[in-house]
Amino acid sequence: MPQIETAYFGRLAYDDSSVIEFPAGLPGFEDRRRFVPVELPEYRPLIFLQCVEPGGPCFPALPVEAVAPGYQVEISPEDLATAGFAPRRQPVAGREALVLAVLTVAESGITANLLAPVVINLAKRRAVQAIRTEGGYSHAHPLEAPENAEVPVCS
Amino acid sequence: MLMMRRRVGETIRIGDDIEIHIAHIGRSRVKIAIDAPPGVRVVAREAHLVGEQNRAAAAAPAPALAGRLAQALQKFRQASAAGADMQGEVHPGHRRRASRTRARQDAG
Repeated sequence: MPQIETAYFGRLAYDDSSVIEFPAGLPGFEDRRRFVPVELPEYRPLIFLQCVEPGGPCFPALPVEAVAPGYQVEISPEDLATAGFAPRRQPVAGREALVLAVLTVAESGITANLLAPVVINLAKRRAVQAIRTEGGYSHAHPLEAPENAEVPVCS
Repeated sequence: MLMMRRRVGETIRIGDDIEIHIAHIGRSRVKIAIDAPPGVRVVAREAHLVGEQNRAAAAAPAPALAGRLAQALQKFRQASAAGADMQGEVHPGHRRRASRTRARQDAG
């Protein structure tokens, strides 16, 4: 079983069949192609997309449905082809595709990238970060509630 | 900002070696052909934003990441559970959180 030294998980053993290929990489990481999804029980439903190439990045992500219920995927024909989907038909999230929002942890808070979800073709284990051109979704959608948020009270 | 009207087939020139050609105009989209030297990076603004965001996402140090995410997820779960108990919907907690966060942004 191949192993990779990672920044967050130490030495990580993975099965080749669990590898997800990004034929076009991800924006900013165009040369990074092979990732494995890492799930840790204590952080569920978080999914860490760990690159299995030496020195590769790790992206924490959440299913978009957990961040924005009702989120509709809208993938361009080019991106559909990259992930190995049939053209001109949007894949069904949860059944054909796993759709993830990449999270950014910054001083000011945690944000989710809803502008460009990672769309994984579950059957072919190919994926693309599909940038939307419409829909008004943000690349930095705030995830955390304010610290002093009041607990809603039943009336 | 400079505004210019162009028709299909016409071209705009920027500096000595960049040309922007209006290739097709649809109902709500235009197709543009760009001719630029190899050293000039040409990318849609969204792609640039996403690249920056990915770099930031991958740059968060491990301890900060794990701690902050654990906290956020805890709240996330609590909110979902509270919402589900009260309204019996699937994800009302998430929705409420989203609108509250937006309200905060508007106020700030």
